[in-house]
Amino acid sequence: MASNFANVLLIFSLFFSFLSNLFFFKKKFKISIYFFNISSIFILISFFSLIYFFCTSNFNISAVYENSHSLKPFFYKFAGTWGNHEGSLLLFVVIVALYGTFFSIIDQNDINFKSWVIFFQNNIFLIFLIFLITKSNPFDMIIPRPIEGLGLNPILQDPLLVIHPPFLYLGYVGFSLTLSLVLAGLIKDRLNNHWAKICWPWIMISWVFLTLGIGLGSIWAYYELGWGGYWFWDPVENASLMPWLASTALIHSLLVLKLKNNMRNWTALLAILTFSFSLLGTFLVRSGILNSVHAFANDPDRGVFILLIIFLITTSALVIQIIYSKKTIYYQTAFFSKESFLNINNLFLLFFLFVVLLGTIYPIILSIFGETISIGPDYYNKILAPFVFIFLVTMSFGPILKWTNNLGFKQFYSFITIFLVSLLFSFVIVVLSQKNDIILYLGLASSLILILNILFEIFKSLKVNNFFQYPRFLSHLGIGIFFLSVFLNSYYSETKDFEIDVGQIKKFNNFSINFKNQKIHNIENYLEMQTDFEIIDYEKKTFYLKPSMRRYLQPDQITSETSIKPTIFSNYYLAINFPDLNKTIVGARFYYNFFIHGIWFGLFLIILGGVLSVFKKRI
Amino acid sequence: MNIHIKKRLYVLLVSVVTFLIVGKFIYDSLVKSSIYFFSPTELRNITEIPNGKIRIGGMVKKGTLKKISNKYTFVITDYENEITVNYMGIKPNLFVEGQGAVVEGKLETRINLTASKILAKHDENYMPKEVADALKSTGDWKKKYGK
Repeated sequence: MASNFANVLLIFSLFFSFLSNLFFFKKKFKISIYFFNISSIFILISFFSLIYFFCTSNFNISAVYENSHSLKPFFYKFAGTWGNHEGSLLLFVVIVALYGTFFSIIDQNDINFKSWVIFFQNNIFLIFLIFLITKSNPFDMIIPRPIEGLGLNPILQDPLLVIHPPFLYLGYVGFSLTLSLVLAGLIKDRLNNHWAKICWPWIMISWVFLTLGIGLGSIWAYYELGWGGYWFWDPVENASLMPWLASTALIHSLLVLKLKNNMRNWTALLAILTFSFSLLGTFLVRSGILNSVHAFANDPDRGVFILLIIFLITTSALVIQIIYSKKTIYYQTAFFSKESFLNINNLFLLFFLFVVLLGTIYPIILSIFGETISIGPDYYNKILAPFVFIFLVTMSFGPILKWTNNLGFKQFYSFITIFLVSLLFSFVIVVLSQKNDIILYLGLASSLILILNILFEIFKSLKVNNFFQYPRFLSHLGIGIFFLSVFLNSYYSETKDFEIDVGQIKKFNNFSINFKNQKIHNIENYLEMQTDFEIIDYEKKTFYLKPSMRRYLQPDQITSETSIKPTIFSNYYLAINFPDLNKTIVGARFYYNFFIHGIWFGLFLIILGGVLSVFKKRI
Repeated sequence: MNIHIKKRLYVLLVSVVTFLIVGKFIYDSLVKSSIYFFSPTELRNITEIPNGKIRIGGMVKKGTLKKISNKYTFVITDYENEITVNYMGIKPNLFVEGQGAVVEGKLETRINLTASKILAKHDENYMPKEVADALKSTGDWKKKYGK
């Protein structure tokens, strides 16, 4: 009954989506948009009904049976809706539809252009809807009704993970609207500065969500996985980083289009690339090719299907671009001009993208030939580090330049002064802390150059009350603080693994760790072993950490809950696990994480800059 | 030759050369940081013992997990061949005898590995893909694990 109801909703949505196409071809543009919106309402209702089935534990529905359990806390029943392959795909489709609908409501352009945008959005929607209905329908029925569900992976039962996937999807999927805008712009010959202004807020919104999604995933990994780090160059993380890099390049080339009416073909290409990488990300994560918490589907069929969709969308977009692309007017620019430095920015970002792509798919390609390998983090760190230094310096240099023309060397005085001060200052830090490492030195110096330059620019803009550059100030400052913290964190942190029994004290490098006691509680759907540790740090300050272990009953699984004590400059971080279940002795992993706040703060500034630029007055 | 075309050719040449150099650089470090995976049987059959980091996967043989002071020893088997593993460090929660596991480390001899890492599993039902493949290739997949 429930299953039938929901399936009817899906079919209605499919039907109206077809109608929308039909009326579009008959040039009845208003009606076409109207039907698209009806279709999007139906898909939204079907998503709400899936949420309802999850909340009421309706095990007749296969997705609910496979991923939920009646004893689960209500909050995670609700969030479990998108904690599985079928549900998350439905969310994906819903977001495609919603972006289209919101665009159709907000956009004030002529109906002809608008209708082309909605036409492309509708067809992206249609492709995924057909995939959903035929290959991974969340509403498949199970008869007779099972008494109990199989449960949700406990590692996913975390408040952050409830919002991480929707944000990530709002990012990924937002670029579908960018693609539709580009294709409509190409066909209607509208790819100009006016078009760039229409596009800007939509791209920025998607970019903000994507950044937020990646950031939340990273914070989750930091405190939930108990590995003490925030980024592991895991293929799944890379999958989200690739569209981020492509879209960041897109934003910068869109800037040239918006202000100088140039780089139009390049911008279109980047927009296509961005959405393709978003799809590739979805494919890598959801197909089961990669092993991780994210890989729900182990049905190779689905993987092939998603690959086909990527191929279809990318090639048809490229074909449209080739047919409709126009020659851009070429004009001479000096090397030390904003344009050429924005080009350099694009090259760097695409290079990073290329490196990450290669590291991610190389093991997959080799696995086709029967060899199983994995790529260690060394690969990324070693290749990317030297380029990050140059990238940061060009990032502080580029924005001071003028459009088109060279700048006289007089204007560089402040830059050169800051450059030298940063080199000297980093040198002092490195020598005083006795960490003589060239990578650390260059990392500190290059991020300081960026930070100080931006601060100097902010100082100058305060004098003349000029606020329109603030989005860039914040985001670039965020990047500077982010990398400064990354380098500080990786060189000044400490970690120690050890086994410890109740009552024992372990000492190392000025830290003393005392295992006070342990207790076992019975909470909702798991058993919890809580521990008390007393830590005395190098300044003889005492504080307590209370890491715990949980044993979930459905499915039977053990997770470690870390305990983190933040101080001004660092985190004390402790995770435990059971070497043996019947003893009081535990394995413990202690991290002294230096300057980790800086990483989150940097991310926060990057996102804040993005948010500001969504609302910035159109120039 | 037209000066414009000449300029373009230079740009093309420079970009191709840069691309090749950078590509070589990336490829080399890619190969260098690749960690190869072997099953105990594969390791027995290869001619040259790898001297970098490798990964080995299989089942932890029952009755072989021992702990001497801070050091664990156990045997990884794919039911045809076995590798003895030494490991210093913290044992992951779900690392138990009779279950699948992947270890990363350096080979001391052909049958002896010093592990620096034991890869954690996500849950009881989950088996590392490498282990599943290793077991499938020796034909020991079947009854116990369904699919």
